[in-house]
Amino acid sequence: MRKLGLILSCLALLAVGAAGCASGGGDTYRVGYLASQTGPYAALGLASTEGAQLAVKQINDAGGINGKLVELILIDDKGTATDSALGAQKLVEVEGVLTLASATATALSHSVIPVLNENKTPGLIISGTGLIMDQLGAWTFKPSSCEFDYIPLPLKYLRDDMGATTIAAMIENSGYGEGGEHYLSPIAEDMGMEVIETQHFDPAATDMTPQLANVKSSGADSMIIWGSGPAGALAIKQAREMGIMIPIATTPAQSSLRYYESFADFYEMDPAPACLDNKPTIWPQLDDSDPDKAMCQKFEEDFQAEYGRVPGIYEAIGTSFIWFIADALERADPDLGDLENARSQLRDAYEQTENLSLIIGTYTMSPDDHYGRVVPKEVLVSFKDGEKVLVRTHYD
Amino acid sequence: MEASTVLQSLISGLTLGCIYAALGLGLFVVYGVTRVLNLAQGEFVMLGGMLTVSFCSMGVPLLGAIILAVIVTIISGAALYVLVIKPARNASGSTLAFLTVGFAYAIEGITLLVWGWEYHSLTNFLGSSSIHLWGATIFGQAPWVVGMTVLMVVGLYLFFGRTMVGKALRACADEPLGARSVGISVEKMALLSFVLAAGLGAVAGATITPLTMTAYNVGVPLTIKGLLAAFLGGIHRAEGVIVGGLLVGFAEALSAGLMPTGYHDAIALGLLLVVFLARPQGLLPARGEAG
Repeated sequence: MRKLGLILSCLALLAVGAAGCASGGGDTYRVGYLASQTGPYAALGLASTEGAQLAVKQINDAGGINGKLVELILIDDKGTATDSALGAQKLVEVEGVLTLASATATALSHSVIPVLNENKTPGLIISGTGLIMDQLGAWTFKPSSCEFDYIPLPLKYLRDDMGATTIAAMIENSGYGEGGEHYLSPIAEDMGMEVIETQHFDPAATDMTPQLANVKSSGADSMIIWGSGPAGALAIKQAREMGIMIPIATTPAQSSLRYYESFADFYEMDPAPACLDNKPTIWPQLDDSDPDKAMCQKFEEDFQAEYGRVPGIYEAIGTSFIWFIADALERADPDLGDLENARSQLRDAYEQTENLSLIIGTYTMSPDDHYGRVVPKEVLVSFKDGEKVLVRTHYD
Repeated sequence: MEASTVLQSLISGLTLGCIYAALGLGLFVVYGVTRVLNLAQGEFVMLGGMLTVSFCSMGVPLLGAIILAVIVTIISGAALYVLVIKPARNASGSTLAFLTVGFAYAIEGITLLVWGWEYHSLTNFLGSSSIHLWGATIFGQAPWVVGMTVLMVVGLYLFFGRTMVGKALRACADEPLGARSVGISVEKMALLSFVLAAGLGAVAGATITPLTMTAYNVGVPLTIKGLLAAFLGGIHRAEGVIVGGLLVGFAEALSAGLMPTGYHDAIALGLLLVVFLARPQGLLPARGEAG
């Protein structure tokens, strides 16, 4: 009797499995999504996942694309490069997705590139560095930002608004810091400025006073803090505590409200540090003529209605990736009967993306340019009387 | 190179060194009595900081918040011994060390669930402000950190040397069988050592948070620095741990200030490698060893 029960339950499981496969068959666009659901980057991965799920829901609620629904197949990259690569492999070979996106962190997304190119599957990566540009290959697209796009913004602020000509750079010891250091000096030179001092700090550093003492004695008349973690915010506090009162510009991590709340007194010391940030967090202060204002507002309202909270930049990236894929799917209208050919058609459509305006940038791709970010959309913000205030956009 | 950079590096080294020494002392207390390498020591420091921040934000005055944080952390230390170490006390030293790693990750996970991933900070104790000295800066909280470590050292010295319980702990450390034969409960003393280490960790966590910030994931890096301090100086003696902590702190700060590129952690680890090759038992000799 027990044996019969066992056999029956096995059969039932098989039937469920078969039904699952059938529903994932030829009438939906299967899109893989690799993002941390657990692990050290879970906060980022979960945020980008919710942004992506919102876009998929909006697309499907409106009847899908070319009459077909979009099915998002989510895999946890667990915050490691190995799991990212394995997850991509599974999406491509087992799940048979048309395309995929790796949307948690720069280093994780780099490990997906060889999987995409070897399996001739088009995919998007979240990488935030330009150092990877010549390794994207024929099948990888990078509709995210590169340092050379946004470095001019803080430099313009330091040069034009604060009258600085020399820069001391505080650089995090990480891949992110490496990219910043690589691009900072040549761009500064092009803009008539000079990086006269470069100091490094560990991402988990708690005391940067020795490096800041060197910044102080260098005589630089401005400072750039380049970091992705708490140490960059701590550097702002410690610099001001040491009496280093030169203008400071920073990368986006330092604009986090949590850091501001921890160090409000130091963030508001004149001149208040100017941090790179993105339009969705500051859209009410954008000029009415800014075409992105309405887009950011709609995204925030839609997201709030769905999840009951205000979205951040990772949610915006997740949503933008899905809209980027949707735009190409609509144009390609791939034949799902032949997966290999469909992937190739979609790749070609990605390359033909033209003037696609998303929250994170406007994109025009080509076979030679898988980055194609023709309009960068970063902003520079600061803090005053407890509020985040807009300092500059790329157009100012 | 500017003199002010050297001075700043020395000040920074002293502060960092005191933090690492405090971590090392927690490791020393447990290792001395139980021969268990407690790789969850950094989690006690993290808990102390996070709990103090939480109690402060609930409106509890600082001193009360620290006391409450110490009490809760001590309970977690007792839990580590009673629930994890004691049931497995006949296992090998490395097995027990791995068990503490499991406990550390459990604490980290629970903290992430309760407080989220954000960093938290505290204002300087009694609002103390920075002191500027010959072009260098001493942060307002730094004297508190140095004072805390000095107090810990003096307190432990008096406790181990002058009190009956302290002497009983030392007896367990030196000769567990002999201690048992004169009526000392080795289990109780082992529990006490975990409680003591958790308390020391919590005080350290509360004191360093205004300087370093805290978050669910700061425990493991702190444990590593504590281990460096303990092994560099010699985990068998409190003096060794203090010397080791200060050495790691100064090495890190001086390399940060005086060397052009980063990788300051590599300097501290490189130092450990050199010491280990020359003196595997640590810089200071264990008691009874010819010096």
